[in-house]
Amino acid sequence: MKALLRVAALCLAAAVVLGAAGVSGASLYYDSQHGAGCTSCHEMAAYVGGVHDSAHRSQNCLDCHDTSLATKLRHIAVHLGRTGPEAIRLRDVDVVSMTSACQKCHQQEYATWHAGPHSATYRQIFTDAKQNTQRRLMDDCLRCHGMHYDGSVRDLVQPLNATGPWRVVRAGFADQPTMPCLTCHWIHREGSLETKPAERISVAGSPVHDSLAFFDRRERMHFAAAELPLPQLFDGATPVKVCPDRRQAICYQCHAPRQPDTGSVAAAHHWGPQAGSGDDRTPLGVHEGLSCFSCHQGHNENARASCKTCHPKMSHCGIDVEKMDTSYSNPASRHNIHWVRCTDCHTHGVPRAGRAAIASGE
Amino acid sequence: MTRRQFMAAGAMASAAWAAGCSSHRGPWESLTERQAQTLAAICDQIVPADDYPSASQAGVVTYIDRQLARHYRRHRKAYALGLEQADSIGATRCGVRLAQASPPQQLQVVMAIEQQNAAFFDLVRKHTLEGYYGSPRHGGNRDAVSWRMLGVSQPPLLGRAQYDLSKGPRS
Repeated sequence: MKALLRVAALCLAAAVVLGAAGVSGASLYYDSQHGAGCTSCHEMAAYVGGVHDSAHRSQNCLDCHDTSLATKLRHIAVHLGRTGPEAIRLRDVDVVSMTSACQKCHQQEYATWHAGPHSATYRQIFTDAKQNTQRRLMDDCLRCHGMHYDGSVRDLVQPLNATGPWRVVRAGFADQPTMPCLTCHWIHREGSLETKPAERISVAGSPVHDSLAFFDRRERMHFAAAELPLPQLFDGATPVKVCPDRRQAICYQCHAPRQPDTGSVAAAHHWGPQAGSGDDRTPLGVHEGLSCFSCHQGHNENARASCKTCHPKMSHCGIDVEKMDTSYSNPASRHNIHWVRCTDCHTHGVPRAGRAAIASGE
Repeated sequence: MTRRQFMAAGAMASAAWAAGCSSHRGPWESLTERQAQTLAAICDQIVPADDYPSASQAGVVTYIDRQLARHYRRHRKAYALGLEQADSIGATRCGVRLAQASPPQQLQVVMAIEQQNAAFFDLVRKHTLEGYYGSPRHGGNRDAVSWRMLGVSQPPLLGRAQYDLSKGPRS
């Protein structure tokens, strides 16, 4: 019996020593070889290769990825048990922690994102009384609000009714962002090194960065912005001029138009999807043809400083453009800044001087 | 077990594990490198490159390899035998392995496979088309290339209906 206890104690001590040495040794091994160690697990080769073609090629895997003992043991179990998924990807908890890793280097971008509506948390989105009393909570909500979430809306929020009170039931997720960095950025992607664009604002459209991509929840993968569709929209029967800026193809994935509803005038006349339908905010009227990025900053959606980019302070009417009766100055205004037209105010026709100025492109 | 025996067993187990983990098996889960090359040659005769990538360029071999480790595990034997036969036919007709033959020679060999082992050819053709036209998340259709070729808009744009439950079902 005594001998048996001695063997057990020896086994335990050996396991502790080997475990400690193994974990610290593994960390050194993977951190020192710039990803080469990670590719010794053949499943990871393509992913490590992908990041070597990206702007993050100088980073080590461990600069961004979790290195806890539990994670390593899980990786070993999956590797040895050959129970890995078809395509390796981050779990939802890893995506959330990845945002902190991005913050370490991209502090300004993180700060602007955090200050804007794109950093909305699961609690803010899924327990909003105004939304939940008007529309049903459903899995499709996660397509734009929680695309990395591993589960259904039923696992996330309860109750799924229009009366509430609602609460986020997934532990640790209530105050996590629904749209983290990896929603619009593809890190392990092939492409050239990133460079700063020559101009921030362009109506014609700036070069599309390779890292700009939308994470599609249905396919569980990123689609590069350059490959995403831009819609052909209509205002009634009239085609709308949509800016060819490919960056805004990411915006359109969530701020998307709808096909005309059955029984609508548009459907009866076989018109295409209407600008302003669904969640679409494609500019019409005086702003038709502008890109989302002509006015909005990408990370926080802010457009407060955008008017000055194109407008002199005073309009043709002698009114400060920022103080006109539009949703820019007053969110309750009937004149949405996306769709405002000259005739919204000039209900009896645009004065001749204004028409001449518009025609000459002033 | 003596202490010496225990330490020896532990050392052997660690060494075996380390050797297994550090061995470079290449990117394949089910196939060997040689099998993958032969399979790529067959797939590229089924979907050759034109203005768009060929089957192997679009990741079809990756797709088949992953599925042979999962849902299509039952086909592993058929693939092993079929790919061996393909190399054998290639060696007989061209004097080299199928992957090393010229594209016209590869086409002749693949046509011979279709005649001699129709079941295997049908299987590869079916899996090639699945990989080429299916979802990229399964390893094939790299960068959704076949969807772009077909003009399929992916992901689709789906706006929400702006209904209001509190105002009734037709609001």
